Amino acid sequence: MTGLAARLRNRSGTTSSDRFIYWLAIPLVLILLLYIVIPMFATARTSVDGGMGNYSGFFGGNSGRALGLSVGISVVSVITTGVIGTALAVLLTRFDFPGRNVLRLFAMLPMALPPLIGAVSFYFLYAESGILPRFLAQYFGADPGAVSANGVLGVLLVHTMTMYPYFYLAVSSGLAGSDASMEEAALNLGASRFTMWRTVLLPMLTPALVSGALLTFMVSMASFTAPQFYNVQTLTMQIVASRTSGAYELAAAQSTVLSVVSILFLLAMRWYQNRRVHRSASKGTPQAVKVIHGTLPRLGAGLGSTLLVLILMAPAAVIVLLAFTVDGSWTVQILPSQYTLGNFSRIFTDPSTLRPILVSSQMAFIAMIACTVVGVIASWVVTRWKGPGKGLLDVMVMIPWALPGTVVGVNLVTAFASPSPFNLGQVLIGSLWILPVAYFVRFLPLVFRSANAALAQIDPSVEEAARNLGAGHWRVLRTVTVPLMYRGILAGALMAFIQGFGEYVASVVIYPARFAPLSVEIYNRIYSNEFGTAAAYGTLQMGLILIVLIISQRLENPGSGGIAKMLKRRRRPTVETPLVGPMPPTATPLPIPSSAAPDLKPVK
Amino acid sequence: MIRTVRKPLGAVAGGLALMLALSSCGLDDSSSGAEGSDGGTLTIYTARDKGLAEAVVADFEAANPDYAGKVEILTLGAQEALERIRAEKANPQGDIWWGGTGQQMKQAAGDDVLAPAPEAVIDAVPEDLRDPAGLWVGEMQLAEVIFYNHDMLSEAEAPKDWDDLVAPEMADKLAIRDVEASGTMRSIYSAMIDRQYDAAGSPEAGYDWLRKLDANTKVYAANPTDLYLRVTRQEAAASAWNLQDVMLQIESQNAPYTPVIPESGAPMLVDGVAKIKNGPSSDAADAFLEFLLSEETQKDLSETYYQIPSIEMTETPAWLADLDLVEMDVDWDRIGQNESEWIGYWAENIKGKG
Repeated sequence: MTGLAARLRNRSGTTSSDRFIYWLAIPLVLILLLYIVIPMFATARTSVDGGMGNYSGFFGGNSGRALGLSVGISVVSVITTGVIGTALAVLLTRFDFPGRNVLRLFAMLPMALPPLIGAVSFYFLYAESGILPRFLAQYFGADPGAVSANGVLGVLLVHTMTMYPYFYLAVSSGLAGSDASMEEAALNLGASRFTMWRTVLLPMLTPALVSGALLTFMVSMASFTAPQFYNVQTLTMQIVASRTSGAYELAAAQSTVLSVVSILFLLAMRWYQNRRVHRSASKGTPQAVKVIHGTLPRLGAGLGSTLLVLILMAPAAVIVLLAFTVDGSWTVQILPSQYTLGNFSRIFTDPSTLRPILVSSQMAFIAMIACTVVGVIASWVVTRWKGPGKGLLDVMVMIPWALPGTVVGVNLVTAFASPSPFNLGQVLIGSLWILPVAYFVRFLPLVFRSANAALAQIDPSVEEAARNLGAGHWRVLRTVTVPLMYRGILAGALMAFIQGFGEYVASVVIYPARFAPLSVEIYNRIYSNEFGTAAAYGTLQMGLILIVLIISQRLENPGSGGIAKMLKRRRRPTVETPLVGPMPPTATPLPIPSSAAPDLKPVK
Repeated sequence: MIRTVRKPLGAVAGGLALMLALSSCGLDDSSSGAEGSDGGTLTIYTARDKGLAEAVVADFEAANPDYAGKVEILTLGAQEALERIRAEKANPQGDIWWGGTGQQMKQAAGDDVLAPAPEAVIDAVPEDLRDPAGLWVGEMQLAEVIFYNHDMLSEAEAPKDWDDLVAPEMADKLAIRDVEASGTMRSIYSAMIDRQYDAAGSPEAGYDWLRKLDANTKVYAANPTDLYLRVTRQEAAASAWNLQDVMLQIESQNAPYTPVIPESGAPMLVDGVAKIKNGPSSDAADAFLEFLLSEETQKDLSETYYQIPSIEMTETPAWLADLDLVEMDVDWDRIGQNESEWIGYWAENIKGKG
């Protein structure tokens, strides 16, 4: 490594950096080609098997209308999730109020909703016979049909409630990485709070918002469960209908169009982000948390956050409720009338219960490691790459995110069924490795986007400074770049793990004998209409993910030993307040440090 | 600066190690057998209920001690099983596909991923309930019937025949499993068009009937579970579904349902089983098919799980004899040719517009 660094140091700065990027890009492109591009290309190839007939008349007929509906729903989903996710992130990173820590923990939980029963929980909450409409009908005389979520509105409700974490996590890590000194400078120069937000913070958050928007848009385009539940004819519904009727070429054409639209959106967002690059050259001491004072505001904030927790938790809470309900006993009541522990005792007395949980957690964990390594390198290469081709790399990583899960699963099975030059002779079907590969392929975009957003905030000159001081490329990456973006990486890795843990649609086409993941086991219980047992499994899943969330929050929070000390050292000496609890109450305005000059420079 | 920012990385690594420790045990002890599938293992892809499949496999192992402990069951939906078998064509991993509509089985046969069943099995199943070459055979017949929630409708109010479903009294009382994504519902709707096809000479009469049905349909359910929930929880009073599942819901879930055999007859769908071409354990697959389609096994399944066997039985189970099941005369070949078009027309022009 030192030899390499010394060799590279002899050359001029830019050239050697470029060389390093190209050198890193080679294995990266190979991995992407092998696991993503070539397997996923099968869909486009199938779509033109019978000529272009599957595309002709696409935009006029039913498919065209479905596409319009899909795009419309996705755009609105981006807006609603954006507003909720960003607001929540600002609230939780900038203000301290009673209940903040609980809210921080539960803000991520909607992502952990088990597939299959996740959708059912919305049925139990908001459908005509759900808790809320029945409650309103009984106590306020409302018509349960009128107050229930239906059609497009229902889809938007589910999307908003389950997808806002994409924004929440990206914006949280973006805010955490922003530099307080810039806000203070803007305020000292006479800007109002509003102007400061508009001209300083929002531009700084552009990469985070773009990341959230991209993930949400593409995942709503590929969303199937919610449209099916509320009976909305989106393009994904058409794809499933085509597959059910055996029209595989047509289904492939519809999938291709779906991903092309998503990729166009990706390119548009890239263009937008590149037009307004805002980076910070300082290392970014985050803005101190504002403590809310006074009994009334504190009470209000406490009540508000309780309400928020209730709303966010409701679907998860319904699953827990179902886990304790006697199957078939909850018919016309608002809440179940008969409770039991039988569902849990049934799964705990079954010796094979633990296995699916072990399979899912380990496969998701392996995939998360791979996603993190490849995702971080990919985001670094894409961000620092000079010249053409970076858009293409970006698209390569993101393709699987734009395809329905079943399509991804089928493509992977086809690609790794028998040895061929395109898979380098690897046969993955029937082996345990195909599960982490599938999760890696499906959830790499989560880490990639999140890391990308974090990286876009960091000025390359920080890396250059380190290089000038004599650090090698690896050392710069290891000691400067990655630490600066670690919140983004952590957020992405967390999302990848949680989603891998509950993955169903691709898993079910690929899982090897004896290694059924948790989601397949939940499917079995639902299929037998053992609702309570399915919910008990789902409750276990959420409980485990909650533990992971608590651990990761410990990592992020200056509550535990090492990090607390470190953050204390980073804090400016003028702030004398000792660390009490997770966040110190620093209400006094911070002085601008003379050393870290605000450097907000719009590039281009 | 460098020293301070390295700490979080250490913490992250520590956390990761912790998570690994949390989950890094328990798989190794049992992974040895499955990794190198030694050819002796029989792998069954099944869309049937897991409990039912496990019970049959346990009996199979008891009857064939050679295969004891060597049978693997993978549970997945019929459509997913089909997709998986197609995708694995180059290197099949499964031996048996158990549970799929006749339509799905035909597709797989057309895609050249199925192998003929043993002669004895082919001969046991009547010709109209299997592939001509035995690439798949019907394992059971599903009678498509009407059922209603007897807490919501009295026996007098309940529909007696298909045409009662489109009567004005049933307005907004029906829940229907989402048609396009369900092989079963596609077949029922096609049968409704087919039965009026000869009189009209076109699907128009059937379309009109389905238009009235759509007007009476309050909600299209996303999946079978959703359908059961909506009827049990009294969002809708009646629906059409297969008799076996309705009976099982009544028995195992205490569901408040009453099945109605339509007076003009119930369309009978085939649910098939097939041997996967070039699967790893061909002999075991043959043995399993012979066991599954033996009269003894079928009698058992019929009595415990309300199955209507496709093989000739010496005696009809009591529950079936009581029901007085009439089969609707349906031209399945015509449906096979037109299903995509009919259901496509329905989705585009009828669904949600009545």
